[in-house]
Amino acid sequence: MTAATGRNRLPWPALVGVLIGAAIMVAPLLWTLLLSLKSNTELMRDSASALSAPYTLDNYRDIVTGSDLPRWLLNSLIVSLGTTGGVLLLCSLAGYGFARLEFPFRRTLFVFVLLGLAIPEQAVILPRHQLFAMLGWHNSYPGLMLPGLAAPFGVFFMTQYFRAIPKDLDEAAMLDGASRLSIFWKVLLPLSFPAQATLGVFTFLGSWNDYWWPLISATTSDKYTLTVGLASAQMNYAQTSGLGFLMAQAVFASIPILIVYIIFQKQIVGAMAGAATR
Amino acid sequence: MTARDRFGGYAFVLPFVSAYSFLLILPFIMGVWISFHKADLFGAREWIGPDNYVRLFDDPIFYQAMGTTFMLALMIVPALTIITMLLALALNRATRSAAIFRGLFFSSSVLSVTIVTLIWRFVLTPDAGLIAKVLAAVGLEPIPFLSHPDLTVPAIAITTIWWGLGLPMMLFLAGLQQIPQDMYEAAALDRASRWTTFRHITLPSLRRTTVVVVMLQTAAQLQIFGQAQLLTSGGPSGSSRPIVLYIYEIAFGRWELGYAVAAAEVLFVLVLLLTLGQYWFANRNEEPGR
Amino acid sequence: MTRCKLLLATLAALILGSCGQIDDRPTLVIQRFFGECGAVYGKTVDVAKAETECGILTTMLNKFVADNPDINVKINVVAWPGYPQLAAQIAAGDPPDLVTMHQSVISDYQVRGLLSPMNDLLAEAKIDTRSLTPAGQRGAIKNGHFYALPWDTIGRLWHINTSLMAKAGLMSGGKPVLPNSPAELLEHARKFKAATGKPYLIQAQVSAPDYLVANLYTYLLAQDAVIFSDSRHIRLNTPEARAIVELYRTLNAEKLTTTSQDFPGATASFVNGEGGIFPTGTWMIGPYDEASKAKGSRLGGYAVVPFPRLWGKSAAFVDGHSWVVPADNRTPAERRAIARFLAFSAQYNGDWVRTGHLPAFRAVLDAPSFTAQPHRKDIAAMAATGQQLPDFVQRQSAIQGLIGEELEAAVTGIKPVDVALADAERRVNELLSGI
Repeated sequence: MTAATGRNRLPWPALVGVLIGAAIMVAPLLWTLLLSLKSNTELMRDSASALSAPYTLDNYRDIVTGSDLPRWLLNSLIVSLGTTGGVLLLCSLAGYGFARLEFPFRRTLFVFVLLGLAIPEQAVILPRHQLFAMLGWHNSYPGLMLPGLAAPFGVFFMTQYFRAIPKDLDEAAMLDGASRLSIFWKVLLPLSFPAQATLGVFTFLGSWNDYWWPLISATTSDKYTLTVGLASAQMNYAQTSGLGFLMAQAVFASIPILIVYIIFQKQIVGAMAGAATR
Repeated sequence: MTARDRFGGYAFVLPFVSAYSFLLILPFIMGVWISFHKADLFGAREWIGPDNYVRLFDDPIFYQAMGTTFMLALMIVPALTIITMLLALALNRATRSAAIFRGLFFSSSVLSVTIVTLIWRFVLTPDAGLIAKVLAAVGLEPIPFLSHPDLTVPAIAITTIWWGLGLPMMLFLAGLQQIPQDMYEAAALDRASRWTTFRHITLPSLRRTTVVVVMLQTAAQLQIFGQAQLLTSGGPSGSSRPIVLYIYEIAFGRWELGYAVAAAEVLFVLVLLLTLGQYWFANRNEEPGR
Repeated sequence: MTRCKLLLATLAALILGSCGQIDDRPTLVIQRFFGECGAVYGKTVDVAKAETECGILTTMLNKFVADNPDINVKINVVAWPGYPQLAAQIAAGDPPDLVTMHQSVISDYQVRGLLSPMNDLLAEAKIDTRSLTPAGQRGAIKNGHFYALPWDTIGRLWHINTSLMAKAGLMSGGKPVLPNSPAELLEHARKFKAATGKPYLIQAQVSAPDYLVANLYTYLLAQDAVIFSDSRHIRLNTPEARAIVELYRTLNAEKLTTTSQDFPGATASFVNGEGGIFPTGTWMIGPYDEASKAKGSRLGGYAVVPFPRLWGKSAAFVDGHSWVVPADNRTPAERRAIARFLAFSAQYNGDWVRTGHLPAFRAVLDAPSFTAQPHRKDIAAMAATGQQLPDFVQRQSAIQGLIGEELEAAVTGIKPVDVALADAERRVNELLSGI
């Protein structure tokens, strides 16, 4: 990562700005955490009680012992990993094809793929629901995973990334008589690991946090993903009498994602730099 | 070139294109088809030609929703672009603390919309919210962010900005790292001031990134949905109801699938035109071949 | 390489996950809202000890599963209110066998043929429909047939903080003094505010179209006003309706009520003694009664009554919960399973009404175990007088949303009252004409 622009110290207005910004970022998160560590009855009397002891882990205990949470976690994991794997595979293949290979209508096809970026989810989610209903694909893992595979951004991203890799490596391999597939598999794919990590993290994130498709496609609770499951577990009036529990659910559902993010942080930044090169 | 060479590329591209066509394009075309029908969620279909669209253009709620959507986009996109650019400038250094701050500003992006709205509901609500408690501590009245018609749209905008700092900031950071060091060194030799350096080196170099950020964010915010639905339900009286929420209400509340999809198609055309327009505007002075 | 392994592992999990065991028992899919309280109730079957809607329902279902090992029962909990999901399930061709549904929503689904008529099922379950309360029957009958097994009647009540009322001089003989006309209401409200410095009413007006509409319907029904002249037309821009909406608008304008609260906020306010009267539903009787008796409580005294008569006669606009059976192809064994569940469910009506709702069965209404519970005697009449909209009115739920939105604009002053009512009328007529 290239170093800063020769200035070593931030001018103080900028420093103040960053600190204020950071405080605004952290305050809601901290508030949520504190709320989750209080008992529901105390909060019902006054939510400001979150700012003082006593704190309790009861809400978290209730999440883990009650409800189908482990099942939902597993479902989310399966669906997100499946979608991510599928997207990485399909988008890498397509990205290589668009970036490196010549074939008729290549440009047209690329524009066709990019058009998808402008299509709003709402325009397709209901017809897609009908389509899957006709095929009987609902309430199944494939049914939950497949829509995520149509990821035009993924192709765009991988294409840009592959374009930025110098062609000499390809040419050297071709001189050795390697086929296109092995050039892809053995040379370019390993080089694109930062991009894979970024695209992978974003896809995983999008799939993990998806709410509407699993809501209308998973018809029985054994197929609920975490987002749908948590929503279903809330009693009406949960905000009145179960605020602590509600917040604990929010924290709990975010933990896996935060872990994924922390692990892959470096790759994301590196890949962003790589993909921005045109 | 052998046939294999010429057509081999298809083998790489086709898996994605088939999935994409089946999962996105086909439903989209089905949707367009449905929009010319009087259709409900449960299979009833009756051809009515362009009547849904005609009805849409006479629908005052549709216009209200469009207005709200544009207002939201106007509140969010410029602010988000500027804030993230400034953050990227401030945090583009190799220090440990900068890395921690970068991580902090990115962390909100990993949360799902249901969680973000839950968190911000309990910051904004005048009864139990964080802001209300802080105001009470200094003796002020709580502010009805989620129920006053003039405040709901800014409330949604603030929530969205808080949520969405991560990706644009990363894009700007990547863009900044593309700028060659020599330019800065030359400017330092010339004893250029910070502001001059910024205006003449940094800003122009970030132009491409800025365009990408603005385009992506505009498209995204025109389709804003979850925050409005979960924070204010589009209220009071529809004053914070963006177009996608209206589409959802027509589809799941009134079961009028044909009408809902027609509205979605209009939105699609709008987003497409706006995005293309932005792209053309940004690139009209570009030298060819760049 | 790890990516490959991951992909293979995922595929393996997929394949294993989709293999089910062979099961000959009839399957019964029961779908319900009310949230999840497994942490407290787990698999217990002691219905008599359970509390809250979630608790009582969960223990009841647990007991049914335990008592009927020959039925493969699957229970789906859905996020409130579960209707988008139900619509999607029906559209996908995979609806549940039994689902909780508000009585006001039944007409929406029934009119499209999405629900099974239940007269046969009720007969098979040996439930005599004449043993249901009048309100219960009205809620479940559409076009002359039963489309639901009603569980309860949900009324809207005035929950009153009697100690504050006493301070304002609005108590008499231990009972709250209620207004008999809109003018009197305003008079009491002003008096209350002057004496206590607090708002007379606590209203949950934010994101609550059903509350606003219930107010309007209640007082229109009290005046025997015709709301729906036929199945395609509503009449809202009438002098009666305007008078009702004006009253609420005045209350807002003079700050005689809270104005920016949603339900959680309003309920907390009431319990903390920050206002005189909270109009909300039967389901809060239990919690408020307890709150008023708790040590150090700020709710210094609690009474509850149906809405006061302000115009015309005494009327109550009610709703209720019920079990409905979405239309689907079912085997005789599955239908028998449904009937068994209905019979089972009817036995626990007495337990269900510990939630504060009114029972759907006359026998429970008259039972001492019911009337002995706090405040039930004050509200029992609603089970007979409670009215809903005429059963030819379609899409009641969608209509409620539209009217509620316009009423919100009217009472907060965004739109003039007659404009809001005219807009509501236009939008509802448009919706009805499109059906």
